[in-house]
Amino acid sequence: MTDIIMEAREVTKDFGDFKAVDNLNLKIKKGEVFGFLGPNGAGKTTSINMMVGLLRPTLGQIFIDGESVEKIEKGTIGICPQELVLWDFLTCKESLMLMGDMYQVPKEELKKRVQKLLDDLFLQDKADTVVSQLSGGMKRRLNLAMAVVHQPDIVVLDEPSEGLDPQSRRVLWNYIRSLRDDEGKTVILTTHLMDEADRLSDRIAIIDHGKLLRLDTPANLKKEIGEGDVVEMKLSNPDKNQEVINILEDMPDVHSVVEIEDGLNVRALDAVGKLPQIIGQVETTGVHVLDLSIRQNTLEDVFIDLTGTGLRE
Amino acid sequence: MKFISIAKKDFKELIRDRRGLVMILLFPMFFMLVFGFAFGGMGQTNQPHMISVVNYDTGATMPGTGEQVNFGNNLTKILKESTYPDSDVHLFNITITTESEADQKLKTRDVDAELIIPPNFSQSEVALITSTLQQQTTTIQSPNVTSTIIIRGDTGYTGFGVSQGILTGVLEQYQDKLMSEIQNAVTGNPGVVTDTYLQTKVESIPGTGSFTTFDFMAPGMIVFAILLLTTTVAAALTREVEKGTLARLKLSKMTSFDLLFGGLIPWSLIAAAQVIILLTVAVLIGFHWQGGLYTLLLAILVGIIGGVASISLGMIIAAFARNDRQAANLGTLISVPTSFLVGAFFQLPQVVIANLWGQPFQVYDLLPWTHILNALRSTLTFGGGWDTIVYQVGWAVLLTIILFIIGVVLFSKNRLRAEN
Repeated sequence: MTDIIMEAREVTKDFGDFKAVDNLNLKIKKGEVFGFLGPNGAGKTTSINMMVGLLRPTLGQIFIDGESVEKIEKGTIGICPQELVLWDFLTCKESLMLMGDMYQVPKEELKKRVQKLLDDLFLQDKADTVVSQLSGGMKRRLNLAMAVVHQPDIVVLDEPSEGLDPQSRRVLWNYIRSLRDDEGKTVILTTHLMDEADRLSDRIAIIDHGKLLRLDTPANLKKEIGEGDVVEMKLSNPDKNQEVINILEDMPDVHSVVEIEDGLNVRALDAVGKLPQIIGQVETTGVHVLDLSIRQNTLEDVFIDLTGTGLRE
Repeated sequence: MKFISIAKKDFKELIRDRRGLVMILLFPMFFMLVFGFAFGGMGQTNQPHMISVVNYDTGATMPGTGEQVNFGNNLTKILKESTYPDSDVHLFNITITTESEADQKLKTRDVDAELIIPPNFSQSEVALITSTLQQQTTTIQSPNVTSTIIIRGDTGYTGFGVSQGILTGVLEQYQDKLMSEIQNAVTGNPGVVTDTYLQTKVESIPGTGSFTTFDFMAPGMIVFAILLLTTTVAAALTREVEKGTLARLKLSKMTSFDLLFGGLIPWSLIAAAQVIILLTVAVLIGFHWQGGLYTLLLAILVGIIGGVASISLGMIIAAFARNDRQAANLGTLISVPTSFLVGAFFQLPQVVIANLWGQPFQVYDLLPWTHILNALRSTLTFGGGWDTIVYQVGWAVLLTIILFIIGVVLFSKNRLRAEN
């Protein structure tokens, strides 16, 4: 039990008639990067807000290091919210110094930490620039720095790379890894970016409609829904997609057929070998294959497989 | 000291948001200008103020000469003859009446004020002259006789406020003039008769001869500006909630006290700045500021108390508003009618609900800003010192503390705990 730092026990959150989180049970280990993966509105942020003590669950309890979240010492958790939560008229340095002060970090120590954070997140040049004059990426990085200036044991990042360019994302990812590897922090992050969840997380919880669907390592999750390849194809008559799905699903060694935005995803072992048969079956319905590609199974396929393709916003 | 960090943060935010700051400071200035032009007497002809004089003075005998004098009549004459500076228009239109008649006229507002000269008025003046003479020649003191002139009127009537201000000034000058005449007599001007002691012409003195309705209203504008802080504080606090910065602070070791007390400091400075800026503007457009730097310092102190009351009201609004726009609207919706209730623009009819320590307690007196306004008027318009405002300041402080506690409790309960 000692290596469990955070536990959600039968946690439910209702907003009127809407169930945002439904009986969530999970344990997060000390020193891991734990990913919450789910579509928009799946209940990720609500779960996070309950886990850090900002929101009271309707039912159930959250424990941090075996103690109820309401009773833990302030400063155990640092949260980097999804939105930019910054004071527009303070400079980067002033913002970090203020947060450090609020956590009662001794002045000298705080100065050192602020300096290091500004260096690590490439904000040194902008240390004395007011927030309103920073670029989007800089604001994001400062948003993160504000969450960790007091060196919390648990760092919660709610969709941290939202709106970041690839360069900034790389800086962020490296920093998240260093939080775990160099400083031994537990990092909880929510994302809907498969790539991010896949590369960063030691374990991933996939949630949708407030329910935990799967919890495992990225590798296991990918294995779970079948190794092999994915055939993406577009048909000449999309109206017949459903008919084609029904036929292909009955084929041996085809794991699943899912309708995506403008075509079908067929997951099968040895897809290359099976391609002539698949195309043959498709053509029995009187449609042609317009476009076709084969690729390796990704976490996104797992995600779509579990959560479907309907829009959530 | 986390509240100091919060105070610094709020102060920087206030100062660096130039546009917001200009809005906060300019908006009330605009009102001051409009009211200044409307009521500052610019381009208007001066009108005499209607005064009823009730003279109970029984007269006295002048020591030495044995002459019978009546200083009450003398004072009445002076009031009758006083004119506006550089003008033939009389300051007052005096009618001599009985007390009951005067009271009746006050009620029907046929007169603005009633001046009651007490029976021993001449005796006290004679005693004053005698003791002044004796001070110069012997060490024997003659007994002191005190008499009080009463200025009576409806405090809910602007006309009374103005007349009262002018009367007070004229009476003060009467005393000063009397003293200087006595001094002249002592230093060797024999043959100076009683009549010449008191045949005084009122000259222009600031705040009396040219006292206007605006002089009565300018403190109201300052209170209005202070009340408008409610709106900005409510919006600023709600923005902190809406933007999520409050959630950041909530997770830290910051307490409600740190946040709210820290916030009080910069906003109080704004209130102080409002008093100084608005007073400057008012003086520039014709306000007759009394009492100099001392009254300015008192006014700043009073303004800060009023500012704290407004901040507290802002906290109460921020405890409920959904977003900063709603907070600003709610703030305006509450602070503007409150300005009217406390009499910032004009006095409302009297609604006495109790009598405390011999003073009538009106329903408006439940609002701290009523006392703030009374205190500002006493000190800035009438030049009163600390002793004249201590009663009002006492009430203002008490009511502000109550409001602040309500604000802290509601804001903490609704905004600083985990949400449901």
